[in-house]
Amino acid sequence: MSRSASVRIEGAVKRHGKTTVLHGIDLEVKPGEFFAFLGPSGSGKTTTLRLLAGLETLDGGRVLLDDTDVSHAEPGARDVAMVFQSYALYPHMTVRENIAFPLKMIREPASAIEQAVSDAAARVGIGHLLDRRPGQLSGGQQQRCALARAIVRKPRLFLLDEPLSNLDAKLRLETRAELRRLQRSLGVTAIYVTHDQEEAMTIADRIAIFMDGRLAQVGTPHEIFDQPATAQVAAFIGSPPMNLFPARLEDGRLRLGNDVLDYLFASHANPGQPVLAGIRPGDLEPCTEGGLAAEVEFVEDFGDSAIVNLSIAGQPAKMRTQRRDLPAEGTRLRVSPRLGSVHLFSEHDGGRLAP
Amino acid sequence: MTAANRHKTGAAARRLLMLIAAACLVLIWAFPVVWGLLTSFKTERDVLAWPPVLFFTPTLDNYRAVLEGSRSILPNLWSSLIVTSSATVVTMLFAVPAAYAMARLKMRFKRTTGFYVLATQMLPPVGLIIPYYIVLQKIGGLDSYAGITTIYLTFSLPFAIWLMITYFEDIPFEMEEAALLDRAGRLRTLWYVILPQARGGIAVTTIFVFLNAWNEFLFAVVLGGNTVRPVTVAMYNFISVEQTQWALLSAAAMLAMAPVILIGLAAQRHIVKGLTVGAVKGGGRR
Repeated sequence: MSRSASVRIEGAVKRHGKTTVLHGIDLEVKPGEFFAFLGPSGSGKTTTLRLLAGLETLDGGRVLLDDTDVSHAEPGARDVAMVFQSYALYPHMTVRENIAFPLKMIREPASAIEQAVSDAAARVGIGHLLDRRPGQLSGGQQQRCALARAIVRKPRLFLLDEPLSNLDAKLRLETRAELRRLQRSLGVTAIYVTHDQEEAMTIADRIAIFMDGRLAQVGTPHEIFDQPATAQVAAFIGSPPMNLFPARLEDGRLRLGNDVLDYLFASHANPGQPVLAGIRPGDLEPCTEGGLAAEVEFVEDFGDSAIVNLSIAGQPAKMRTQRRDLPAEGTRLRVSPRLGSVHLFSEHDGGRLAP
Repeated sequence: MTAANRHKTGAAARRLLMLIAAACLVLIWAFPVVWGLLTSFKTERDVLAWPPVLFFTPTLDNYRAVLEGSRSILPNLWSSLIVTSSATVVTMLFAVPAAYAMARLKMRFKRTTGFYVLATQMLPPVGLIIPYYIVLQKIGGLDSYAGITTIYLTFSLPFAIWLMITYFEDIPFEMEEAALLDRAGRLRTLWYVILPQARGGIAVTTIFVFLNAWNEFLFAVVLGGNTVRPVTVAMYNFISVEQTQWALLSAAAMLAMAPVILIGLAAQRHIVKGLTVGAVKGGGRR
């Protein structure tokens, strides 16, 4: 049963009254992909998901499923299933009736429904709860019930709107892995909305990052981590996210406060142009000479690693280290980025300059 | 006395005060009903006795009189039932879809429509009687069930729509969207998902509409006649220029009240809150 749709969004525009919430989104999702929409709240990721479901109408552009224009198709005609953040279970029906509902609506024979319901329930591990009502389930069980209702009719596209946000931290980690397994075993295309970058990075094949109603970047978790397209993306991805310093290029060398990093940058930036230098906390390491002068403000020790909070050129910065001999608060030391690990962004619009 | 004990005594005193206040309210509310009930079992002589008698030999003569013979109110109860049930059925038939549309669908002039639905409730009914009389007279609707039922709709329909809107608005949007995605379509979504959850609201609204229509007097007395003569109008006949037949009036009133009370009791279990509790977790509002 591997029916999986390809998704194409072309120039999608959405307005709410006078405010434009989506400024022309172009996006392609391949069949069978687990795709995440990631972004801060209000960035347009949920709106885009709802456009795919047909729960919002387009103000411009097109939505194509399997190369067919469904921009104006009713939600029910699109053959997509959605798991809502609130689960949206029908409170007056039992779990069994909830899961059976989509099949009942397309008039499947009762015996087929019975079989499909027990299959779907077993898949998500709620086979023993079929006679309960949603009100009698725990949050995690409700979430599974919503999942079962979505997978029971084998849709070609699976939409998940922050499905884990109402679960506690431990359950969220477990369910995350299970979701991934479920999607793999069904082979269905899935789009997953989240504001949690760690969730997106660990679960998705590819990620689209939404910022202010625009796509800031689309790529695999690695691409986005290693080559963030803008300073905003860089500041959003990674935990802790990338350090960004205002800096200046001088003869291909980077001046950061009073220090000059002794690397040559072959960059598109003009000499003397102000830039933003981005360094991941994991790419900073103590050094004996050169590098940047820093002062230790405080240390967060996690046991196997630690985050050293520094002040570099009057700016807060974080350094991740595995070393056990952690510097004391107030220590002055020098740190330098690993070779080739400095990202340069335009100070003007945050666009990536180098490498 | 410890602080905890003092706290306990304070709470008990508050409870007692609340009970006394509640008892006073119930007494004020119940007195006319109880007095009417007592009066309905008195002879006309006991009714007029001064000082009022509390102990008397009860009689069923009054009930016999208003149920049998020339002064029977049975035809009027029947008349009430016809007007009230047709008004209630027609009202709910239109109010439920109308309220759903007003609560949910995006349409033009929604605000304006909503305002005019409400505006009809702002007019004093007395001011409408003469226009209604003239209209019904012109179309031959005076003293007809169709005519009076239609007039009842003019006040019950807006009332029911406005009451139902709030119930529909309480149902989470996502639930409807989930049903739409499950290929239920608008009508089946309404039938399978929305209406079962609005059951409590529908019951409450039906009861209110029924009560209003059953208790209606003003329109019935002016626009009715020999054919349409609800029990509220018939009871009025026990008050004449020469005398008021209190005992008969009370017996008729008790009979007129009975169905209302029975319906209220029967529907009580429908008026349950919290049907949607547990369906939606967290705040998924955009």
